[in-house]
Amino acid sequence: MNEQSKGGVGMKRRILGLTMMTVMALFVFPLHVNAGTPQQTIEAYVNKVLDVLREPASEGESGKKAKEEKIWSVFDGIFDYTELSKRTLSRNWKKFNGDQQKEFEDLFRKLLGNVYMDRILAYKDEKVLFHKESMLSDNKAEVRSKILTGTKEIPMDYRMIAKNDQWKVYDVIIEGVSMIKNYRSQFNSILSKKPPEALLKILRKKVSKA
Amino acid sequence: MKCLLSAIVILGVCLIISVFKLNPSSSLAWAEAWDLDSQEKGSSIVDKSVPTRMETARVTVDVVPSAADEEEEIVEIADPIYYWNKGMYHFNDKVYFWVLKPVARGYRWTVPEGARTGVKNFFYNLAFPIRFVNCLLQAKGRAAAGELGRFLLNTTVGMFGLGNPAKEHAALNPPDEDLGQSFGRWRIGNGFYVVWPFLGPSTLRDSVGLVGDSFLDPVRYVKPMEASIAITAGDTVNETSFRIGDYEALKEAAIDPYISIRDAYVQHRKKKVEE
Repeated sequence: MNEQSKGGVGMKRRILGLTMMTVMALFVFPLHVNAGTPQQTIEAYVNKVLDVLREPASEGESGKKAKEEKIWSVFDGIFDYTELSKRTLSRNWKKFNGDQQKEFEDLFRKLLGNVYMDRILAYKDEKVLFHKESMLSDNKAEVRSKILTGTKEIPMDYRMIAKNDQWKVYDVIIEGVSMIKNYRSQFNSILSKKPPEALLKILRKKVSKA
Repeated sequence: MKCLLSAIVILGVCLIISVFKLNPSSSLAWAEAWDLDSQEKGSSIVDKSVPTRMETARVTVDVVPSAADEEEEIVEIADPIYYWNKGMYHFNDKVYFWVLKPVARGYRWTVPEGARTGVKNFFYNLAFPIRFVNCLLQAKGRAAAGELGRFLLNTTVGMFGLGNPAKEHAALNPPDEDLGQSFGRWRIGNGFYVVWPFLGPSTLRDSVGLVGDSFLDPVRYVKPMEASIAITAGDTVNETSFRIGDYEALKEAAIDPYISIRDAYVQHRKKKVEE
């Protein structure tokens, strides 16, 4: 935020005071660092991930683990897993009881995290360019980005929803393919024949393998 | 020989159409898909100024986070020849892991990236007529001009298309067009899902498009036919050498790879038609 102050000294002081308070608040409530426009939010998170990736890795397995741990914490800040789960299961969501919904959220988080992590790790040397944001509705936005590699551009769009003063990702669209729609088509096909428990079993297996 | 091949393909397509027409459940699915499609088109993106943090906060107060009631529907695709498709999916999967991938890997290891990029550029430049004609078929004048400009620049300055000096100019890089997309633009629906051996996922509409486009592909006119096929195979290996790992990642991410790929194909094509 670039504030312009044309007022007198008092005004300047107040602004300075406000700025100080804001800065302090940022330390006290780290969550609020990311409140901004959708694009600023996602850009900040993606840069955080890229920073972690570019850090020189410490030795061996533990170093890799530590890196992954850091990336997971970034994911947890930006993805709204409840929203993701509800949207992905759509009308099947109601077929799940409370415990099943909770477990689904957790398993889906791990699945998506692993998938997304793999993709990011694969692209780590490439540049990410954010070039457009547009509002889809009052509380939803789409931020477009491109991953630039030596030979091609991969469009990656983020759908975001505003919740409690935070922009959270509820869908990632890579080359026009929406992640939640893609999983929905798969889950629909399983749930049309089998009960929720069967899907959870498949997911448990899938996640433990990764 | 070529005539025979074309005849077989056309016959196959006719057969598929007739199967499709006879199967009432699938045409129902088709109708549904069509319907959903048009519904989605109706909800266009509203371009507004992005709210600041303060506005966001105000907006969120009266927002009830209910996702299920306003969900966007997935793009359905009819799959009346599921068993054929599933078989071909497994066949192509094996072709990839047993043949294409090892060959592309060896090729990547032997041939330096610069040379592979040159080959890639060359074939891309060669397929210019397909993209150009389809820009015209969709009345995309600016894109057609961009295609033509790139072709001229890359063929001359770029040494027969080996180089890609047009890369830096946005106007010379319009989205790729093909006949399947042109059909889509003319509001012709996907029909149903088809997986072809070697060629992979497609739909009835896009398959007809592929046959049509092949007439504009210079490689098709290379004689003898064996040479033409060999060139296509070489192009495929070269192309694959840049994307080893993509297919694996897609499969790894999926719970049901067949359905995931089917949906991804349809979503991807829908976006390309809209572009």
